[in-house]
Amino acid sequence: MSMIITRTDTSNRNFLNFDPSCEIMNIPIPKISVLLLSGLFLITTSCDQEACFEETNAFLKASMYNYSTLKIKAPDSLSLFGLTKPEVKIYDKAKNITSTLMPLDCSKESCSYVIKINGVNDTITFIYTSSPHLISKSCGYTYYHTLNTAIDFSTNEIDSLGFTNNSITTFDAENIRIYY
Amino acid sequence: MQKISGYIISLSLIICSGQVHSQVSAPDSVIIPLKVMASIEIAGPIMYFIDKNNLSLGGYLSCDLNEKLAIYIGGGYSDYKYSQYNYMYLSKGAFIRSGIDFNILKPETSIGKYRFNIGLHYGLSVLTSETPSFKYENYWGTITSSLPSKHYQGHFLEICPGFRAEIFKNFSIGWSVSLRKLIYTNADKDLRPLYIPGYGSGANTVSAGIGYYLVWSFPFKKIKVSVKPEPAEEAEESEETQEP
Repeated sequence: MSMIITRTDTSNRNFLNFDPSCEIMNIPIPKISVLLLSGLFLITTSCDQEACFEETNAFLKASMYNYSTLKIKAPDSLSLFGLTKPEVKIYDKAKNITSTLMPLDCSKESCSYVIKINGVNDTITFIYTSSPHLISKSCGYTYYHTLNTAIDFSTNEIDSLGFTNNSITTFDAENIRIYY
Repeated sequence: MQKISGYIISLSLIICSGQVHSQVSAPDSVIIPLKVMASIEIAGPIMYFIDKNNLSLGGYLSCDLNEKLAIYIGGGYSDYKYSQYNYMYLSKGAFIRSGIDFNILKPETSIGKYRFNIGLHYGLSVLTSETPSFKYENYWGTITSSLPSKHYQGHFLEICPGFRAEIFKNFSIGWSVSLRKLIYTNADKDLRPLYIPGYGSGANTVSAGIGYYLVWSFPFKKIKVSVKPEPAEEAEESEETQEP
């Protein structure tokens, strides 16, 4: 069906009139109604609520590397927990973990983790500064961190650590490499 | 996405309704009154009765330079509060905007009563922003903290297509859509104000909004504007009207 637009009152020269002044598919349409209703439609579409779909935690991201091949390699078994929170494990004998995510304690300037690689315990202490960051209206605030390069760690299973990025944000970027 | 589709649909409706205006023969010239217009924005006060947390007052003055062009100066005040499960936020401040409005309707269509403006404005907002409390939770526990009140500025550009129709003598109503681009703020990039008066969400560098207006007009001069005939279009339309 073709759309036919006709003018029913050729003596009326106004663009917008409260009288019906045009027909679309034989339905009289007051043009001002179209324009004002289109504005009302806008307000209804502007009031939708937004949910938070963004990452709200800034993790220190540590990649696991084999020190002899210098290639990324998941240990056979990996456990990770805070030195002062041994009862809450972040990883518990996990397999196929090539990148560990370590949250930092925002209320302090350092925190220590116990990392158990292939059954052998090591301790890593991170020193950092924290600053609040607005993510978005729907998600609120998080903390970003700047990592101090002076990291204290034991060398039972760990061979060495390497820095790649000392800025810890919600973006997915590697911060350190753990060679074991 | 829903907002964008809403704008597109609405603008499509405007375009469709605008296409039917010039289907009659036009005279050689029309008399257009030039006006000074004073306007208040009404959506803000109405929304305040629904949500007492947010007060937004605004308005503008504009003065026609000719049948197409008007200079614009606007301003307003905003008192914004927002809270959700993990934070509370306050923002208070004022804003001014200035620029020009282009009326894209033809003079014979507009006849001094109807406007479809495309506004190009520069805006400046001054505000105080405060986060009385926010909560952050991770593996190590929950932290409750706050950010003290600070003064900020926001500079932005906006383009605002909008429609005005005179419903009584020298009294019009209408609305405008605003698309804004934040060009500068003195806030730290990590702690931008959540709400910038006159602009919108400070977390985004682009924002959109809509305003509904009551407009009082004060004609100060009448000008005679020539009208160009469009013979080809009229011939085509007359054929369409003869279809059964």
